[in-house]
Amino acid sequence: MQNRAIMTVRRLIIAMLMMALGQAAHVWAQDSDQSSEYLIKAGYIYNFAKLVEWPASAFAQPDSPIVIGIVGTDPFGPIIDKVLEGKKVNGHPFLIKRLKPTADVKECHILFIGSSLGPHVADTIRLTRGTPILTISEIPGFADHGGIIHLTLEQNKVRFEVNVDAAKEADLNISSRLLVLAKVIQQPGDGRKTE
Amino acid sequence: MKLQNLSIKRKLMLITMLTSSVALLLSSASFLIYDLISFRHLLTQDLDTQAQIIGYNSAAAMAFRDEPVATATLAALKAKDDIVAAVLYTPDGKIFAEYAPTGKSAPAVIPPKLSRTGYRFEGGYFDVLHDVSLNGERVGTLLLRSDMREWSLRAKRYAIIFFVFVFASGLFALLLSSKLQRMISRPILQLEDTIRMVSANKNYEIRAVNTYGDEIGRLMDGFNNMLAEIQQRDTALLNANDQLHSRTEELEREVVQRQQAQEELLKAKHAAEDANRAKSAFLANMSHELRTPLNAIIGYSEMLEEETRESGNREAIQDLQKIQAAGKHLLSLINDVLDLSKIEAGKMTLHLENFDVPPMIRQIVSTLEPAAVKNGNVIQVHVDDNVSSMRADVTKVRQILFNLVSNACKFTDSGTVSINVEPVTIEGHEWLRFEVRDTGIGITPTQQRQLFQEFAQADTSISRKYGGTGLGLAISHRFVQMMNGYIQVESEPGKGSTFTVLLPVEVKAETPENPPSDAVTEVSGPIPDAGFNQDTILVIDDDATVRDLMSRFLSKQGFRVIATGNGDEGIDLARRVRPLLITLDVLLPERDGWSVLHEIKSDQELSNIPVIMLTIVDNEATALSLGASDYLVKPVDRERLSSLIDKHRANRSSSSQNGNSSKGPAEKHQQFVPSASARG
Repeated sequence: MQNRAIMTVRRLIIAMLMMALGQAAHVWAQDSDQSSEYLIKAGYIYNFAKLVEWPASAFAQPDSPIVIGIVGTDPFGPIIDKVLEGKKVNGHPFLIKRLKPTADVKECHILFIGSSLGPHVADTIRLTRGTPILTISEIPGFADHGGIIHLTLEQNKVRFEVNVDAAKEADLNISSRLLVLAKVIQQPGDGRKTE
Repeated sequence: MKLQNLSIKRKLMLITMLTSSVALLLSSASFLIYDLISFRHLLTQDLDTQAQIIGYNSAAAMAFRDEPVATATLAALKAKDDIVAAVLYTPDGKIFAEYAPTGKSAPAVIPPKLSRTGYRFEGGYFDVLHDVSLNGERVGTLLLRSDMREWSLRAKRYAIIFFVFVFASGLFALLLSSKLQRMISRPILQLEDTIRMVSANKNYEIRAVNTYGDEIGRLMDGFNNMLAEIQQRDTALLNANDQLHSRTEELEREVVQRQQAQEELLKAKHAAEDANRAKSAFLANMSHELRTPLNAIIGYSEMLEEETRESGNREAIQDLQKIQAAGKHLLSLINDVLDLSKIEAGKMTLHLENFDVPPMIRQIVSTLEPAAVKNGNVIQVHVDDNVSSMRADVTKVRQILFNLVSNACKFTDSGTVSINVEPVTIEGHEWLRFEVRDTGIGITPTQQRQLFQEFAQADTSISRKYGGTGLGLAISHRFVQMMNGYIQVESEPGKGSTFTVLLPVEVKAETPENPPSDAVTEVSGPIPDAGFNQDTILVIDDDATVRDLMSRFLSKQGFRVIATGNGDEGIDLARRVRPLLITLDVLLPERDGWSVLHEIKSDQELSNIPVIMLTIVDNEATALSLGASDYLVKPVDRERLSSLIDKHRANRSSSSQNGNSSKGPAEKHQQFVPSASARG
């Protein structure tokens, strides 16, 4: 437990450092990398919506919005709202909701899990179980934890991993065209691996 | 060689070849073009499909900016040989990914910027631009560039196949047409052979052998029919030619016969003409021979009458007058016959001169007054005031009128003979109309028809009753014709006759005459006076009777008369005596009067002495042309002779008034008869 506490403290310190650094980096890259990275990532989320097929029961009506829920820290700010404003996929507009970690995520079609929920990622993923929700996160090992799409940075480029088993469990059909571009991970999404 | 001169065989082959080649070329060309077009369409569709697939496959990569994946997707085009370039552009026109097969320089074929979506051919390449979209949203543009390799390969293959095919089928067509053209050309060549044989041998019995039922067969039939026709006509022509030949021979024989007949006729004509001339000559001679004794009879009876009258023997006078009348009648008959013979011989000529008409009429009337009185007739004369002179042959006019009036007097008993003369204008020409009307026995229409013919007196009984030769009207008729006039008769038997003569006021000479040499009497310049005897007349005549009569007559008129019967002596005497005047007979023993006249007129000293020709033969024209001053026909009319002498004496005295010979003509009555005259 001690170890665990020490590790938690250490993690907190690191997190705080990172936050400080991140904040600084955020400030520093406000005009360039930081904003452009999330602009790209917002565009990716939009493209994922195009290449993922939800079960028909997921929408009450053909023009019901695709609800994007953001839990934890929100890295996008107003960028994602701008990117998705007025956009439609298969007749569905986008609705962005910033949620509390405890909030009910069942009404979401896409759930972006902010990095702040890193320690509780498995719990958060578990909340989505049984509902067709496309989970996206930057949290390292997200796909291994049963998340569906994990956004990464490789050589300053945004890449992503897709856990096809998790998608299948969530009753989501991911286009092969997307899979061609992704790093495919086959791991059931019940978090057994982390345990 | 011109196309139209080619043989039918070649023409047919040419036509077949040309037609089949054109048809073949057109059909294969259209097929090829259609095929190449549809093939290209297929290729473009194929390329389009390719672009769609690549676009679809690369859409996600484009969306997620995954360049390696996009490049890999493009690299799938490697299987396609004809794709020379493939490029993916981002929506803002930047190159996102590209593909170029090895060996090709990619940048060279990639357009620097996007133009538009769709197709385009450019620089031998076919470009397809295709939008790359993800879920309905455009994420980029794909360019596929093809060099259409398959298409051009196919076109090349087609070209080779096409030419081989065309060549092979051309050969085949040539073979076929060279066999098949005989169907048409053989009968034509056969016909041509026949025609050549016909025209070369001129043998129209040859016929073309016709085994064809088509147009050429009909042509052959027509040709054969024409040959038959020609043959028929040839035969007919030959027959006609034969007939013509025999007919020509007949005609030639006829011509020869006619020529012979003509020659005979010509001979007969010459004989007749000779006979006629002989007749005329005989008549002239006979007239001359008859007149010579008549001269003596009339002349001496006149002389005797005068002398007897002086002696007072009245019974003798009456007898002498009868002799005279008979002589004159005989003379007139002879003159008529002579005139007619001259007319017939064509020797009668016109001597045109201007003369006054009224005196002539008066003279005729006074001459015929006794004849009228004898039959108890009255002569009425009416000459229009406008009638004055005319130009004509006065002798002949006088003779015509004399004839008509004397006839009228002769055939009328106790009646009226009226003479009317008046001018008329017919068709712009001036004429004189002489009308002689009587109330005599008249002439029947039958008689009228032969009235103006020679020797055709109205009735033979007439000549016995009334006398005359019946030549008067015939001569008058001829004279009127000579002067371009007209004569006609209107008559009713028992009531009288009217003769009308129309003569031009100016009679035109038919042939130009020699102008009368009046100049002889009008000598200009001084006359050599030596030996000139104003009152001497030289008489040259071989007839002693004439010499005697002339001497006696002229001596009574107060002239000295020198007479000779020899022409040369006459000329000699003329030179010595220089007489006032010479009378010259035409017929002289040694030389004729014409040559004497010529010599006198050629002599400068003698040429101005007037010469009066005396002759029995009427030849006034010759006389006047040779220089004679006047011309008298024997027997000499004494009154005329004395008036002529008076005229010449007046002329000569007026031209030589200062001459030294002023002796009175009556002073010297000397009968000088040269020795030659004793010959008579």
